[in-house]
Amino acid sequence: MSENNEFIINESTLNKLLKEKKSSGFESKTWDNWFNSLFLTKPTDNSQQLMEKVVYNFFHSKDFEDWIKNFALNLNNIWNEPSARKLDPSTNTTYDMKNHSAIVIGRGPSLKKNNHLEKLKNSDYKGSIICTDGALINVLNSGITPDLFPNFYVVTIEPYQIQTTLYDDPIVDKFGSKINGIFSTLTHPDAVERARNAGIKIHWLHTLFDYNEGKKSINNLSSLMVRAKKNKGLPAIQTGGNVGTSCWFIGWKILKCTTITLIGMNHGWEEDDPIETIMSHGNMFEAPIIDKNSALFKKLFPKIYNPEFKSTCILDPIFQYYSSALKEFISRSPPELTTINATEGGSLFGEKIHCQSFERFLDEFNV
Amino acid sequence: MKANFSIKKNTDLGKKLPDVESSTNKEITEEEFEDFIVKAGAAGSFMVFRSLKKEDELGLDEL
Repeated sequence: MSENNEFIINESTLNKLLKEKKSSGFESKTWDNWFNSLFLTKPTDNSQQLMEKVVYNFFHSKDFEDWIKNFALNLNNIWNEPSARKLDPSTNTTYDMKNHSAIVIGRGPSLKKNNHLEKLKNSDYKGSIICTDGALINVLNSGITPDLFPNFYVVTIEPYQIQTTLYDDPIVDKFGSKINGIFSTLTHPDAVERARNAGIKIHWLHTLFDYNEGKKSINNLSSLMVRAKKNKGLPAIQTGGNVGTSCWFIGWKILKCTTITLIGMNHGWEEDDPIETIMSHGNMFEAPIIDKNSALFKKLFPKIYNPEFKSTCILDPIFQYYSSALKEFISRSPPELTTINATEGGSLFGEKIHCQSFERFLDEFNV
Repeated sequence: MKANFSIKKNTDLGKKLPDVESSTNKEITEEEFEDFIVKAGAAGSFMVFRSLKKEDELGLDEL
């Protein structure tokens, strides 16, 4: 570089750069955008990179056959039922981008601790409700129903049969016909069928995980099969590894919301949660035997301080993985999208995350 | 050929809050995480999608 801040390159080098910039999907973006994207391909967060590699290898080897089987069994319904794109309101003349908002409801402990469902039920909130499948039965039983909130969505992305139980309840049968369901093409067919039998309107999308591997990736092959009969492809979302992050992406990319508020999305444990619960990621497996005073324990289960809510929480390795990914994606979201963490605790804070109480959000966003 | 790069100062630097108390040398290792995820994975989870096309990581309108 010269003393005048001039970056001197050959014309052929510039042409190569232009070609690479175009092929990366950044043809109409600034050079600064493109350079920053290149730096992101080499994450500085080694810990996150390692975690993603482990998860990818683990699930690719463990679940590959189940994904294919689920997709094959879903395919006829995917051909006959609508794309999640049908839920995109932006072509509707009544779509008000500025005031188009959604509340994503996870099933974190803050829901109960902060009485958030009761506060929501008693509010005049008129935006969309995007409910994680794991929270659905509790949310409906708490009075947050499509009768009060007509724009009510539920999301399932996980491919396991156990997701069926999340729809297997009389309260789901009661309100199902007024709920829009958004399902991954890899969802277990029993779970989709249970939701369908409850009257939930099924909408399909792809969940991205190996599209970077090219033509022979499952994502690409499944999209070709969908388009073999359907005129158009389906939207494909980043899941961030969990349904809560998927709901945030659906709020942004499918429902075209410009404000997305998170409740029940702690992505961490309360300090007073039983240690066995924390160590077993909510009793999902047997807690490993680790000396609680060891350095390993402190690495696996770090305590973090949330300066926005002036609270602390404890992460386990899975929440470290989920939280880091979601925070990264929120930091990469466009300026027109506002993300509000109204969970009032947990690990989600930082760049482009506005932390405020749920009560204040409901007061301010009463449109 | 010359190309000028106008440099904009990054005002966001320094605003980023340190979130995790653990320092770099306390970061979880691959083996430690693998041991944990293998146990947890049996109960269900999914993965983060990464791509050389960074825009793709935020989703595709149609696939």
